[in-house]
Parts: sequence; C-alpha cells; structure tokens
Amino acid sequence: MTEQLATMQFHPRPEAGEARPWAFPAPERSTLGNGLTVLRCHRPGQQVVAVEVLLDAPLDAEPAGLDGVATIMARAFTEGTDRDSAEEYAAELERAGATLDAHADHPGVRISLEVPASRLAKGLGLLADALRAPAFAESEIERLVRNRLDEIPHETANPARRAAKELSRQLFPATARMSRPRQGTEDTVEKIDAAAVRGFYDRHVRPATATVVVVGDLTGIDLDTLLGETLGAWTGTPGESRPVPPVTADDTGRVVVVDRPGAVQTQLLIGRVGSDRHDRVWAAQVLGTYCLGGTLTSRLDRVLREEKGYTYGVRAFGQVLRSAPDGTGASMLAISGSVDTPNTGPALDDLWTVLRTLKAGGLTDAERDVAVQNLVGVAPLKYETAAAVASTLADQVEQYLPDDYQATLYQRLADTGTVEATAAVVAAFPEDRMVTVLVGDAAQIAEPVRALGIGEVTVVTAE
Amino acid sequence: MRMGHTTTAEAGSGGLTATEHRLANGLRVVLSEDHLTPVAAVCLWYDVGSRHEVKGRTGLAHLFEHLMFQGSAQVKGNGHFELVQGAGGSLNGTTSFERTNYFETMPAHQLELALWLEADRMGSLLAALDDESMENQRDVVKNERRQRYDNVPYGTAFEKLTALAYPEGHPYHHTPIGSMADLDAATLEDARQFFRTYYAPNNAVLSVVGDIDPARTLAWIERYFGSIEAHDGKPAPRDGSLPEVIGEQLREVVVEEVPARALMAAYRLPEDGTRASDAADLALTVLGGGESSRLYNRLVRRDRTAVAAGFGLLRLAGAPSLGWLDVKTSGDVEVPVIEAAIDDELARFAAEGPTPEEMERAQAQLEREWLDRLGTVAGRADELCRYAVLFGDPQLALTAVQRVLEVTADEVKAVAQARLRPDNRAVLVYEPKSPETVEDAEVPEDPESEATVEAAAGRDENEETAK
Repeated sequence: MTEQLATMQFHPRPEAGEARPWAFPAPERSTLGNGLTVLRCHRPGQQVVAVEVLLDAPLDAEPAGLDGVATIMARAFTEGTDRDSAEEYAAELERAGATLDAHADHPGVRISLEVPASRLAKGLGLLADALRAPAFAESEIERLVRNRLDEIPHETANPARRAAKELSRQLFPATARMSRPRQGTEDTVEKIDAAAVRGFYDRHVRPATATVVVVGDLTGIDLDTLLGETLGAWTGTPGESRPVPPVTADDTGRVVVVDRPGAVQTQLLIGRVGSDRHDRVWAAQVLGTYCLGGTLTSRLDRVLREEKGYTYGVRAFGQVLRSAPDGTGASMLAISGSVDTPNTGPALDDLWTVLRTLKAGGLTDAERDVAVQNLVGVAPLKYETAAAVASTLADQVEQYLPDDYQATLYQRLADTGTVEATAAVVAAFPEDRMVTVLVGDAAQIAEPVRALGIGEVTVVTAE
Repeated sequence: MRMGHTTTAEAGSGGLTATEHRLANGLRVVLSEDHLTPVAAVCLWYDVGSRHEVKGRTGLAHLFEHLMFQGSAQVKGNGHFELVQGAGGSLNGTTSFERTNYFETMPAHQLELALWLEADRMGSLLAALDDESMENQRDVVKNERRQRYDNVPYGTAFEKLTALAYPEGHPYHHTPIGSMADLDAATLEDARQFFRTYYAPNNAVLSVVGDIDPARTLAWIERYFGSIEAHDGKPAPRDGSLPEVIGEQLREVVVEEVPARALMAAYRLPEDGTRASDAADLALTVLGGGESSRLYNRLVRRDRTAVAAGFGLLRLAGAPSLGWLDVKTSGDVEVPVIEAAIDDELARFAAEGPTPEEMERAQAQLEREWLDRLGTVAGRADELCRYAVLFGDPQLALTAVQRVLEVTADEVKAVAQARLRPDNRAVLVYEPKSPETVEDAEVPEDPESEATVEAAAGRDENEETAK
C-alpha cells in the first residue's frame, strides 16, 4: 500500500560526467646518512602532515614470557626523552597541535605523527627525540605496565575483542606468537620492567632498519634539512635481517562458543588463514570478498540484514597479519558481526546458505561490475587525507610490496573477471574449513548451532 | 531562484569560501569550490532530530532515517546504496538530538547522481514506503541498539546520564536511539506522518563541496529539487532552555556486570554558538582534553588511581551543552577517592584559571581539530550545513577556529567558576556486580575486525547511523 505520488517533477536518472584522472600518488625514495629510509609525497592542500615510522621490531622478536614488551616500549616512546619529562613531552606535543600514536603489531612497531604543516619542524623534533633518546624511566614503565594490566579486563568484557582473541588461540599453534594476544597477557605483562623495555629497544630499534613516510602539503618546506636535523641525528648499529617465521594454522571446521550468560546478542567471528598480498589471486579475492560481505548491499547483508533483520551488519574481510619478502606471509580471512540471541541459529544457517549458494552458482557479472566500480571509484575519496596515503605507503613497505602496489592494484581489479572473483572468494571462504567463534549466551545458542551441523561445538566458560 | 552573496576568504578560514542560495521552495543551498582532488561531497541536513519526538515514540527520527534508504518513487529497494556505491561513492546518514543528516561523497563526475537521489527521496519517499521495509528496519535498528548499547559494558551510560541531566519531559531527556518499547510501538502511519511533517525543502539545507562548477551545480539542484513543494506545519520543538546551573548534584549508582568501577558525570554548560561555549570547550580541554591535561596528569600519572580520565564537550544549540567526564578506575580504587581528586582539581582551576601555557596548548589542540574537520570535502560540507541549520549562517563554519583563538584566559576561568561545580552536575557511578578477580584474562586483539564494520567506525556517541 503506497501513497499517491507527490507532485514533484521527475527526471530520468542522470549519466555520469567525464571523469578527471586520478592516480594513487607515487612516493619519492631516499636514504639518510644514518641508514633511515625516507618516502615522501607532496599532497597540495593537506595542511595536516602525516608522518609514519616503521620499526623492524616484530612481536615474534619479543623474548619468551615477555609478550607485551613491544607494546610497552611503543607506549613509552611518548613518556619522556633526554630533553623532556613524560609530562613535558605530552605538553610539547599538544602545544604543536600534534598527535602521536604508537603501537606494536606482528610485523613491527608503527608510530604515527600528525601535525599541522606550520609546526612540522617541532613535530619531527619530538618524534626524533622519542626514537633517539627515550627515557624509559622506571617509574613510567611501572605505570604503563599497571595501566596495561588495568585495560585487560575491559577488553575481555568487549564481545568483539573477546571473539578475536579466541579465534587467534584456535587457529594458531600455541607456540606461535600469533596465537597469543598482541599486547600480552596478565602473566607476561606483569613481568615487564624498564630493563626489559630497554633491552628490546637496544636489540631491535635502529635507523638502518627503519623507514619514515612523510605525506602532506610540503610547499615551502625544506624537508631534507628538517629530516637531517631531526631523525638524521638518530644513530644506531647496522641491522641484520631476521627470517620471518612461517605461519601454520588449523582451520578444521568447528564452532567455539565463548559463554556470556544473558547476552542479548551473539558476536560472531568466522575465520581462517590465507595468503598475503603477494599472492596473484589477491585482487580477485578483494573483489569477491566485497561481493560477499563488503557492504549492506553485499550478499550477506542482503539476507541477514535487509531481508531478515537479524543484524545491524555483517562484514567479510581479508586483513594481512604479516608478510614476508618471498610471499610466504599470511592474512586473516573472516566474517564478523553480531546477531540477536534468539536468531543466532537461523542467522548462521542463512550465512552458510549464502556461502553454499555462492559456491554453486557463482557471482553475477552485474555484482562484479558494481564491486569494481566501487572499489576503484572510491580511491580518490579514500585517499583525500595525508594520513590515509601515509598509512597505505607504510603498509606497502611493511609488507615488502613495491611502492606502486596500490596504484597497480586498481588496474588489476579492473582487469579481474567474474569467474576469477568467484573462484577466489569461494576458495577464501570454504564452508567446511572455517573456525566459528560465537561470544554469546551458550544456554540459548549452543543447541540450535549444534543442529546446523557446521562442525563440532565446544563451549568455553567466560573468564 | 535568488542568488546569494559570496564572502571573500577571511583570516582563519584557510582560504575557503562558500556561497549561499535559496530555491523558491525554501531549500537553502551552500556551495564551496575546491579543485585539489576530483571529489565532491553532498550533505543534506534536515532540521529534525530526537528533540522533536513525542512521548511514546522515542527513536522515531532515527528509525525514519533508516527508512530513507529503502527506496522512493524512482529508486527501487536498496537502490540508493547500490547506485552511489556503484558510482564509486560512499554514503551514510546519522541522527542526533537536533538534526538528521544524509551525505554522499562522490567522484566529481558523479555528483549529479547524488543530487538526483537526494531529491527523489525528499520529494517522493512515501511512494515506496511500505510495511515490509518498516518491519525490516525496525528489527535492524533494534539490533543496532543491542550492538552499540545493550551488549557492551557501560553501553547505556550515555542514555542514563542524559536522562539524569535533562529533566523528565525535557526534549533532550531521551537519546536518538530510543527505547525498545517505543521502537516496537512505532507504526507505518507514524513514519508517514513524520515525513509529511518534517521532510520538506524549506526545512533543509543542502551543501555541495569540492571539485564542482557552481553554476552548473546550482542548475542541477534547481532541476531536481526545484519542483518539490514546500510545506509548513512543522511544530516547533519543545523549549529546551533550562536554568544555567542544575542547583544540586544529581546521582545514580548502577550495579552491573562491568569490568571496573567508573565515574561519569555531565556538567550543564553554555549553548553552542556562544562565546561562552568556546570558553567551556577550552576549559574542558585544559582539564581533560589529552595526555597533558590536569585530570590525566593527576589521576593517571601521579595518583595512578585511574586507567583513563578525560573530558569531552557535547555541543548543543537548543539546550544547554554537556561537559562529559569519564573516568575508569584502576585496580581496587574506590570512587570517592577519584571524586575528591576531581573536585580538588576543578576547584583549583576555577580559582586560578588556565596558565598561559595551558591556553596555548588547548587552543592548538582545538585548532588542529578544526583543520581535521575542514580538511576533507565531506567534513566541510557537514560543518557548512551545521552552521546554516543551527545558527542561520554557514559562513560561521569558516571562521569558527578564529573565534576559539580569540577567547581569553579570563573567560575560560569565568565559565569554569560558573559551571564546573558539584551542584551543576549529574553523576553516574558504576559498581561491578561480581567483583571477583579476573583470572587468566588475556588481551583480545584485532581492533580491525570492528573497524571494517562501517557501522561501528568513528561515530559520535550521540549519533545513530543507517549503515
């Protein structure tokens, strides 16, 4: 039953105008005297300059029993230097209108500085102090350790983060660093002290194995001089390359319910491990994954959200965990979202039906076309800010990809056909080789899920 | 069509300019050119938010926003999303207390499509709105509520504090997400009536920012929106004005399954758009705006009684703004210890005011926030609409940072003295239900799995989103 049409005058849907060419920016490479690799990229109009530093300090380099030391080191970079106390350092950053974030992940430590172009010199000076002469004062490390211990229960109480933790534990062998939380456990974090942080810094942080990416409006800025006076003063011994450990994973189809009594929704995370961006199939996989669960008009949400109303949104994605120069790296391929508790069984049933239907019938040409148009078309929007460009350039370096990787990825996407995209996404999400983690009310969801026959169901008691 | 005036770039606007226009049907239009990147942002603000809702129908403005993506006369089903995304664009809609906004960022050569789509639903939504989409989106919104509020620790804190800070019957007493009972009670006829009442060209502002040809853009806007009929009859929202201070400390203690004790509070502050609200913003920044703020230094660094401590400002134009305090305690620390330290810091600040160094830092931080907001075409389009809808003048968006930089330390001190007092706050205390120690707790990881769900990323707590 619809209402009478309003009186507005209708016009046919307009056609697109002529596209103005856009290309992902090509960075310029150089090396400072201390061995630091520099990538720079001038982006006119971007008044907030983004600076990303990559340190070759991967999580698997953490000493046994000290998981989390890389995280504490990353946080401690901003807690005082040879010039400033922790409070003074924070004040100086804010005086420059700057933000500086540092975090540790499997490939290494990343530091992101954003600062107005007019204060770039000040920002780079502070960044250089942090890397060159961090204080790592005992009292500050002790505080960061306690703070980190306080954060853990907050993360455990968050269903999405709890699910991610469980999936890693399920997929990877217990001996692999990837099976354990990136930022350590209570047992390991409480053992971290200033000496451990200093030791990790001495072994793994040096300009010769680091890269800095600078992106923004560099008009009137003598970047070489600025870098020379700041990051150029950072010294260190030559680095040695370390082998990247191979990644193995057990993706035997199974279901793990993390019990959260009384939960009104079930958080689902269904995943396995795939190859990294060096794989020739990556572009086709990106395309197919978008068609499966990239947006609310993709296959999963078309059923689970827009037809059934079981969820606010379910997404499928591929995310690189760690790369190696020889292409032996790994990525996490996963489907995530939350569904209301009573409909958990029906929602998973529908989700599996979507996967089976996709395998049996494949993607349509129309789906493929829309996906390509979106993935390629959004590039100029996605890379409007300096921070977005810097982050992708840094990812490329971190993943041993050429500087023109992103630019050529768009060409590859455009060249990928429906058959290739179907094959890639069906191979990425095989219905019988995925680990399903459900964080929810086991008493209500375990039986309906068992009845689906999507794998053995075990229940883990919540902490 | 009457052509509006153009202002030249003023100091502090970063060289940005905007022109204003008004169609015969009352639609206000703001255009701003920027040819650096081949993209264009379309932003449409309707002057309706949760403050316009009536008793028993909370959440209707936001539920209705979802229905705006369910098709209109010439757009089938999910066509709005499909067409924009297929054109390489991105889009969303959000609902707050004071407005509902819809936006598309497009490759510049696809701008006309976004205008056509927005016009189609403004003029003909009711041609497509039916029971099926109503029932479906009701379920989606209820799941949005569960995901973002009911199923996460402290998830309903915002709702509880808002209900404390604004009295029963006040238009801001309830938040945009609404209650489950009211979402269940909403009917298709409610939605239709809502559209007929509030969705009209003369109750909206359209901004287009980016790589555009203003004359051609204006011609498209006239073509697609020009024939949509204006209509009046929109009731004014209930009066949101309140006395400057609450006059007593309001308090609620919640015993729930949360991982740690928490102290949250909302202070009643000056309305947005006033010089005093900019002064309040600076005061909150000095006190709790970052890792060199007074509360962070005191509670997290020195006393080590808190995991996190900060102040935020919820700017509101039609009611007092709220100064938002959020402290999560460390270990076994009790709430009164935290509260005493906060009162101590706030009293000292009110007595002494900010130091020159603190003023410099706070102004640099707020200036940086403005650079970020105006640094994208979508951010600029949203701010132009905001100032046009709430304050009647989009040009104010381009000079906002200048006004923040003009505020003096004395004004910051004055607002702190008048407003940041115990008798002007609503306090919410969380006590964990079962305070057993957490054994073998591990750090969950992979925040990216959340970020990839577009719905979860980067939304203000007081906003709901369609996607």
